[in-house]
Parts: sequence; C-alpha cells; structure tokens
Amino acid sequence: MKIDPIKRELIKNALVTICDSMLVMIVRTARSTNIKNTMDFSATICDAEGQLVAQGLAVPGHLGAMMPALKGCLDYFGDDISDGDIMTSNDPYAGCSHLNDIFMFKPVFADGRRIAVVCLILHHTDLGGRVPGGNAADSSEIFQEGLRIPPSKIYEAGKPNTSLLRIIEHNTRMPARMMGDVYAQMAALNTAEKELLKLVASAGAPVLKAYMTELIDYTERLTRAKIAALPDGVGEFTDWNDDDGVGSDPVKFHVKITKKGEEFIVDFTGTSPQGRGALHTNLAFAASCACASLRCVIDPDIPNNAGFYKAITIIAPPGSFVNVQYPAALGARGQGGYRVRSVVLGALAQLYPDLIPACAGGSEFAIVFAGYEGKARKAFLHLEFHNVSGQGGGPDRDGQDGGPYCIGNLANVPIELIEAENPVLVEQYAFIPDSGGAGRYRGALGIVRQYRVLAEESTVNLRSDRHLNPCWGLFGGKPGALSRSTINPGTAKEENAPSKFVRTLRRGDVFRGEMAASGGFGDPYCREPAAVLEDVRQQKVTVGHALSAYGVVIDASAGNVDLAATAACRAKRLAP
Amino acid sequence: MSNFSLGIDIGGTFTDIVLLGGDGELYSKKLLSTPADYSVAIEEGVADLMRTAGVSGSQIVELAHGTTIATNAIIERRGAAVALITTRGFRDVLELGRFRSPRLYDLKFRKPEPLVERRLRFEVTERCDAKGNILQPMSETELEAITVAIEHEKVEAIAVCFINAHINPANEEAAVRYLAARLPRVAVSASSQLVPQIGEYERTSTTVVNAYLRPVVEHYVTSLTRRLARLKIDAPLMIMQSNGGVLPGPLVATMPIFIIESGPAAGALGAQRLGSHLGLGDLIVFDMGGTTAKACIVQANELILAPDTEVGGSASLGARMIKGAGFIVQVPTIDIAEVGAGGGSIAAIDAAGGILVGPRSAGAEPGPICYDRGGEQATVTDANLLLGYLNPDALVGGDLKLNYAKAEAAVAALADRLQLSTIDTAYGIHLIANANMMRALQAVTSERGRDPAHFSLLAIGGNGGVHAANLAESLHVERIIVPPVAGLFSALGMLFADVEHQFITSFFRRLDATSPADVNGAVDGLVRQAVELLVSEGYKTDEAREVSLFADVKYVGQTSPLSIRFPQFPVTDAMISDLLERYGELHQQTYGYRSDREPVQFVSLKVVGRGIPSSSRVPRRVSRAHESSVKAGIRRAYFGPEHGWLETRLLARTALSVVPVLGPLIIEEYDTTTVVRPGWSARLDAWNNVVIEIIEESRS
Repeated sequence: MKIDPIKRELIKNALVTICDSMLVMIVRTARSTNIKNTMDFSATICDAEGQLVAQGLAVPGHLGAMMPALKGCLDYFGDDISDGDIMTSNDPYAGCSHLNDIFMFKPVFADGRRIAVVCLILHHTDLGGRVPGGNAADSSEIFQEGLRIPPSKIYEAGKPNTSLLRIIEHNTRMPARMMGDVYAQMAALNTAEKELLKLVASAGAPVLKAYMTELIDYTERLTRAKIAALPDGVGEFTDWNDDDGVGSDPVKFHVKITKKGEEFIVDFTGTSPQGRGALHTNLAFAASCACASLRCVIDPDIPNNAGFYKAITIIAPPGSFVNVQYPAALGARGQGGYRVRSVVLGALAQLYPDLIPACAGGSEFAIVFAGYEGKARKAFLHLEFHNVSGQGGGPDRDGQDGGPYCIGNLANVPIELIEAENPVLVEQYAFIPDSGGAGRYRGALGIVRQYRVLAEESTVNLRSDRHLNPCWGLFGGKPGALSRSTINPGTAKEENAPSKFVRTLRRGDVFRGEMAASGGFGDPYCREPAAVLEDVRQQKVTVGHALSAYGVVIDASAGNVDLAATAACRAKRLAP
Repeated sequence: MSNFSLGIDIGGTFTDIVLLGGDGELYSKKLLSTPADYSVAIEEGVADLMRTAGVSGSQIVELAHGTTIATNAIIERRGAAVALITTRGFRDVLELGRFRSPRLYDLKFRKPEPLVERRLRFEVTERCDAKGNILQPMSETELEAITVAIEHEKVEAIAVCFINAHINPANEEAAVRYLAARLPRVAVSASSQLVPQIGEYERTSTTVVNAYLRPVVEHYVTSLTRRLARLKIDAPLMIMQSNGGVLPGPLVATMPIFIIESGPAAGALGAQRLGSHLGLGDLIVFDMGGTTAKACIVQANELILAPDTEVGGSASLGARMIKGAGFIVQVPTIDIAEVGAGGGSIAAIDAAGGILVGPRSAGAEPGPICYDRGGEQATVTDANLLLGYLNPDALVGGDLKLNYAKAEAAVAALADRLQLSTIDTAYGIHLIANANMMRALQAVTSERGRDPAHFSLLAIGGNGGVHAANLAESLHVERIIVPPVAGLFSALGMLFADVEHQFITSFFRRLDATSPADVNGAVDGLVRQAVELLVSEGYKTDEAREVSLFADVKYVGQTSPLSIRFPQFPVTDAMISDLLERYGELHQQTYGYRSDREPVQFVSLKVVGRGIPSSSRVPRRVSRAHESSVKAGIRRAYFGPEHGWLETRLLARTALSVVPVLGPLIIEEYDTTTVVRPGWSARLDAWNNVVIEIIEESRS
C-alpha cells in the first residue's frame, strides 16, 4: 500500500486523541489522590502484536513500560484472547513495574480478528503487604509487598471476573477507594475501545493496520534523523544512592552513553549489584527512565511509539541495581528510577553541555501516613510523592525555584486536601533559603514540608534519599544542600531520622522533611553580583551566604552591592 | 425613535462592535484594537457606527462588553504591585504551585514567575483546621508589623489567603478589617470573599490574580465610561463574565477574576440563547479565528461550566489536562476547549517526511503568505485559498487583496517534498488543521460521554464557516448553523446575556451526614445577598428574579464534581435523597458507570441570582443593514479526492431563502465565508441563519 503522509498524520492524531480521552476520563473519575491529583498513570494503544503505536500525555516513568507488560499477558494467554476480555497484571517478573502499577489491556477486534490493544496503567493506592502504600524501601522479597497479580483476565468475554475483583478488594487497606479506581480504569478502556472501533469503521481495518505499522516505521526514521543531527561522542557519569533501602554503603550508578551516527547506546555496566531492599529497578523501568531522559535531547515532540526505542540500546547487566532478578522487592523502585534519570542526564551533559542543566533538586520524597482513626477505627491512608524540589542551574539561566521536572511531572498534593481527608496537620511548606547549589547559574532552592500527626497513632513510611549524596553541580557549580529528616524538631524529643524508615508516630508528633536542593552551574564567583543581590532582596539567599558562596559583599542597610569589596573578595580566591 | 443595544467585543487584534435595533436591524464594525488604551478604538468605532446608522447616544439603552483586558494585563505584566499575606509556614505556596509541566521532555519549559515576588509575601501567625476550628487566632501584633512593611513599599493592592479559610473565614475577615482600617486607600482581596473553595494554591492564585487586576480593570472601566459619556451614551456598562452572565462595570472592577474569559464566553452564551430561542437542540459551538479554535457544547439548552480556568498560558489541549502553563483562577467558567489551530497555523515538514500543521502560527502579523505582509510559511488560510474556498480578490468585503501566486508557490514547495500534488497537499493541510480542532471538539463531547453525532454544529469566527463542513462530516454531525455576523458573533451574542450574580461557598461534607438545615443554613445569607443585589438593580418583583441553588457533588475521594441543581429553595429531605439518585444518573451518563455503594459528598454550594428581562433579549430576526452583496458567480473549488474540482456557485446570504439550495456552494460575506460541500444543502431560517443539512441520499 502506498503511504499517504496526510493520512498518516490524520491517523496518528486520531490515535493520540483516543489515548488522551482515556486519561481525561481517569482524572475526572478516579478516587485516590495519587491518580486524580498526582496523575500517576498512562494510556497507550498497541498494535495486535503488542507494539506501541500511540501514547497520550503520560508520566514519563511509564514511557515504553507498556510493551514488556503487554508481552507478559500475550505470552501467557497466547491464542486464548477474545473479544470482551480485559487482561491485567502487576507482576514485575512478567514485564510490569512494581505491584502498585496495575496494567490493564483490552484487545480490540474487527471482523473477528484482533486489530489493536488499548492499554492503561494506574498507580493504585494500596495492594496490601506489610507496609501501607506499598512503598517501603526495606522490603527484601516481592512477597512482602502485597498482592501479586500474574497475567489474568479481569473481564472475560464481556463478563467481570468477580473472583479476581473480590481478591483485589480483600487485599487492600482501602477497598472503596481502590475499587473505585479499578472500575474507573475498566470504564476508560471500554470507552477507548468504542472510539477505536469508530476509527476502524471509517478507515477500514486493513488500512488502519498498515498505517499503525507505518507510524512505527516513520517514528523510527524521525528518531534516527534527529539523533544523527547531534554530534557523536561518549559521555560517562556516576551518581549515588545513599543506600539500598535496608542499610548499606552508597550504591553506585554508572552509565556510559555512546552516540554514534543515528543510535544511542546506554550502558549501565559498572553499576552496583542489586540491593537487599526495594529501591532497585527491573530492566523495563530502568529503560523507561533512561529513554525519558534521552527524549529531552533528541526531540520532545517525536511521537511516542515502538519506533522511538529501536534507535536506542540499553545495556543493564542482570543482577545489577538496574536489572534485578526474582524475587527481589521493587515497591520503592521509583526512587532508583530517579537516580537512573539523573545519571543519564549527567552523562548527556558531558556530551551536550549547552543543552543540560545541573541536577534537579529533590530527595525523591514519598511519605505515607496510615492507620485507624477514632472510636470507629476508620482507616486512613495518605500517600504522597514529592520527588522533585526544583530545577538545576544552567545551561544559560538559573534553575527555576519550584520549577516542574519535565521527565517526572508528578504534582504535589494540596495541603487542604490532605487535612480534609486525613488526621494530619501540615505546618509548613516553603523554600529553604541558601540551599540552592551555588553557581554562575544558581540551582533551585530546596523545600521543607512539615507534618503533625493528629490521630492517636499513625504508621509513617518515609522513602527519600540525598541525605549523603547531593544533587550535583556542573562545570564548577556547587551541589545543592542535602536532604534532612527530623522528628519533633525544636523540642526535647528532637531526633534526626534516616532517609528511609517505617515507624509509628503518636498524636502531636511532628515530622519535618527537608528536600535536597538543585545543583548550580558554572563558577559561583562568575555570577552577576546583581543576580546575587536580587536573591538577597527576595530572601532566597542571606547576606552571609552571598559572601561565602559567591564572594559578593552586600551592604544590607543600603540594599546594594559593594562592588569594590566584591571585586577584592573575588580576586583573592581567583588569584593563582 | 427606536431603541438600540450596543455590543462591544475586544480581542487581541480586532475590536468588534455590533449595534442592534429593536426590529433586528443590525450594524457592525470591525477595527484594529488599540492596546495602549483599548477604549480609544471603542470610542472611534462606536462613533463611526452611530454615524452610519444615524443613531444618537440616547437611543442606546443597553450596553454589553466583552474584553480581554484582564488576560492581556497578565500576559503583559501590567497589573498592580501586590502584597500577599498568608498563614505562617505558607509564604511560598504561590511560587511552589503544583510542580507540573504541560510540556513533557522540554528542559527549557518554565512556569510563569509568580505575580507577587517573595519579598512582598508575608506570613502571619494564625491557623484554622480542616473542620473549621480556629487553632490560633490571627496575631494583630504581627499584622501591624506587616502593615508597616507594606507602607514602605509602593504596594497598590493586597491579597489575603489563609489555610482553610474556605471552611472558616474568621481569621481572614479579622485581617481584612484590620487592613481596611490601617490602609484605607489600598484595595484588599480576601480569598474567603471571592470564591472560597478547597486548594490553598488555587485559592491563593485566584486571590492574587484578583488583587493584581483590580486597579487595571477599575481604571479601564472608568476610562471607557467617560469615553462613552462623550458620545452621550449613558446606558449602564455591563461586562460579560466567564460564566456567561453580565455584571455592572463598577462591580467587575472589584472582582475582575470573573471576566477572565469574557470574550469566549460571549460567543458561547450567544449560541446558547439563540439555540434555546429557536429550539435548535443540542449544539457544538465551534469558533475558529486566526490563531486558535475553540469549542464548547450546549446540551438541554445549558452550557457546561468548568470549576476553574487558567490565565496567561498558551492554548493547548495539554494545558487543559495538565495545568501549570498559566495562573489558575477558581471561577466557574464556561467549559471551552481551545487548541492552537487557526487560519494562521503554519504547515511544515519534519525530518522524516511527516507533515505537521501548527502549533506554530503566523498569527495576525505577518499572517498567512497570501496577505502579502511578509509571511513566508504556508498556512491553513493559504491552503484554503488554493482550494478555492476563499475569494482571491476580496476578503473583509474587499479591504484585503490576497496574493494567490505566492501562496501557491509555498504550498507547491511543500508538495514537492511530500511527493504529492499541490492541491492534495493543500487539502491535506485543511484536513490536518481539522484533525487538530477535532481534538478540541472531542474534548468537550466524547470525554464527557456525549456522542457528537447527536449535535448540530454552530460555526462562528472568521474561519468557522470554512472548516465546519469537513468537520461535520468527520464528526457525523448532520446539521451546521452559521448565524448572521458569524465573524463578529461574540459582539452580538453578549447582547443576549442576563444579569447574573454567583456566590459560592465551600461545603465539604458527606451527603449521608448532611441535613436540609445544614444546606439551608450554609446558603441562606447568599440567597439574601443575591436577592438584595438584584433588587438594587431594578429586578424588584419575584417574577423578575430567578435564584437557583446548585450543589457540586462527587464520590468521596474523586476530583471532579458534577454540578446538580436543586429544584427549589429551601431544600428538603426529599431533595437531598433525590440529589443522590440524580448524581448516579449523571455519573452514568457522563462517565459510563455509577457506583451506588460508594459514599457521595458535597464539595461546594453555589447560588446564582439572575435578573429576568421583561421580554426576550433575542430579537425575532436579525439582518445586517446595507449588506454589500457579493457578486454571484462561479469559482472552481476542490472537495477532496472523493469529489475533485467542482464548479461552485458563489452566493451572498441574502440570495438564500427557505428553499434549500444544493451544494457545492460558497457563501461570501463581509466577515466570514461559508463552504457547503457536495451532498449538503443550504437554506435560511426565519432568524436569518444559514442552515446546512446533509441530504438524505448522501447519508452513508
């Protein structure tokens, strides 16, 4: 069939529109904060063989995640897949990511033959396990983390699999919320199927099939052309995790990125072995995070489908921290995934110094408050991700304070919503002055979030990092301030807490989480004194820090820079 | 001496003015806006129109106005110097925002810098919990210190937003009283007095935007009123709100957040009023201009409201779902989806031979190539010209000559690279622009569980009539309506709006724990306020007022509530249980399922007070006075591979009648062009709308 570029664009648009409408429907109908507010979900359409054809706006961590998970289901069911089925799985050892991400796949049939599969991942609140929210860093086997659903049918030939639904309902701490989300997920798939069938009706099944294949080929050509336009070279970088989640020495993430012609090779050889905890990732998730980072330099607007991945080779030694083997736990693998992103971006910065800023700030902060409240013992479970605190400095301007992270893109949770739904009082949510990595271009400030427990007692699960290893600077820029966790700050009971813990806090106890700040870019002594003065005026930098970090002397009473004293101070350090 | 109504719509590029007589006689004028002071173009245009029509100022009894002044002030950062006072611990809520980028993988994306810089954000000790208990009263000692600091700065407006003030405003009110006494000349906006809803960032943003805009809008209203007075027009200035009602200018000046989407709302409201007046049924309102296309729906004669809008971001569907491109404003706003697709959208070819249309746009300057004002990249309008849809000699009634040769050369260059013919490329550009707009249409229909095939498409805007025909075919819509003055329809539509006041109160509680007395108690004061306001505006009898009560309801834990109207006030037990059932039905209809075992909760209650005019605001029929008629003729136009090139009749609207004329046809007017495809017919209805319908036999 001769390919018409106009028709290809029209079909591409139609497929992405179907994905987007699934997502919009989920936002409007889901129950849990993590889905409706944080938008931790993704929707795609794959062809009959399971090749990704179109993806809607998505959480970048889910990039490319659909194909291995769908393969898990297609391999298991083989020919036993029929109209009206919805397949589901959350098994990281069958291509999924971690237990909380439940994947659902609805095959779409035209004239009795499978023509496509509509797919939806939602990060669900709780699937049981030893720690509420499924996000404990110190689980050591997947069996501790909750309900593991192997490739299964949650709908079979148009009929709900009530046994499976009941098993899910009885293995979560929050059945109403969780089942609301499960039904929302299935309803969105049904709507997407209807929309896709309309497209089949207007384009014709053989034509649509041919164009789905062509869309993948076209994307591969586009990706290769974009990659070819970048200079060749090799970039290497190392970043660290504080520990493996159970308590170990820092974990090394190492990557070597080779750009040659129209391909990228991303090689994680040299990364530490898998840990004893749940922070490490399987290959599928490491690849998602690496590809998301690569998109930033290749082209943000390339269609997101199987063609994109064909020009990228990921090497991750089995048994390493980025390719764990059965039966390792993976519940908190999101944290490891952030380190994959930062190390890949670090290597890309060596290759393309004029494209990449210093390390984004944040401690991959995730917290759970859970327990039973009052006489009625009403269950509560607050799960919140605040992975990132802002942007790194550079390459040509400061990192924006509170700026979004375009390859993470989870929203924070409204304080008033937390308080309305949980026995928790939030006491502070603010920037931390002086914390941003010093540099010619300053890194964004770190952030503090402080909570007080109002229930009689609450299980608190913290997953965070960067207590030991800061967000790096680039080209002479300083790293951002480290993270810190404190329980009952400013009281006689004050104690420093580790970056990861599960423990019980009682009514009136306070937890203070300080999230690491972003790295700076370039020599801080080359920063414009006027920019330092502006930071001081905005109370983002103190007069003392202006002097110690930037060599800029500020006359606080006059509100200006003492240029002569600044020049003298800077000359002293710059002198050979 | 008959009476006239004056409708004025200001967009970024053009100012549209419509003068409508009681008998439906209509005069219109389109002129370039004057961004330095928008009221200048208004005075000039209105004076000119009054001269043409021979109408004196005293004959103008109604005056409605839609304006982008608020949006522009934010985009251009021309608002007031604002100080923000927050609860201790939350000074940075405004700047932290929600951490979301509408542009994935784009390391360069930045959210807009906050409207209040950090040094002008002050914290005061006070706290209220989520149930409304005051944990700490507001510290006057600290507020005094803040007041002193504010006095030292050149602050023109203050915003106050405390945590949980939507539940219990006592502390905020104490702060407002204190500030009013200490700084009587500085306008204070408090979150609990505007639209008190949950979400500290969203409410703070709303309050700050209000404070930021107040002086600008106040100045504008004063200046416009003065200029109109010079024309001896003393009808009260009514300004269009984002929800489709109008409010008096002086009231708007204190609550400018209500007019953010003033212009787009006017078109939607006009369509809704026209639709219910004529019984047109459910409508998709499709408005396509030079840079963006907008769509909204009217179902069962009602517009759908979204709970908030974003101001200062760019138009994209991504932004509709992932907020963060602009400043959020929690004001009920007609739910209008917008995409960056218009006549100026640029067609380009990517590195793998793919063709893209938009989102880059040639805008109004330099505009499409055929405008011959320096544009070098082929646009949708250039494609439409090659397709024969636009008159090469005359656009805007002959004011604008088009350069056909240049447009053709540019499209031919693209065609070469795509290995397609020039005309197939032009048609492709037209179709891809449609596909982009389909996303806006889908967003307002399918995502809400509505099948577009059950709607009629009402096409407005300069390019609405050019693209409606093909869009309708793709959506399986069977009827298109192009109203008179479609290109300036917003200016006409706002004349159909009623005075409307809305009051919202947060009401975050479960339905099964709510008694009628709780609801009635929560809204009693608001209902009284609505009635008092309407009485003061001359709606003195019960018949002249409609006060309705709406509840925003959702399943516990859900994000997006659905709005349901109580049949009357005060509320009874039966009405609450009925509400539960109606919520289930609406959820089923909207999202395809209901979940009766799950608990349901209220989010907020809204009181809407409407002034009912003594007679319909929609005239019996509208016709343009002195319509310059286009010469009837024939032009070749291309209707895709299925029809090819066809000799196509050119007609003026006045040449149509109630008898349907078969397509293909092109209807040319001063402000718009309408394309009728083969297989469709066009006729006029009694109101002077062009009605385009699919012909039975050609229905597939």
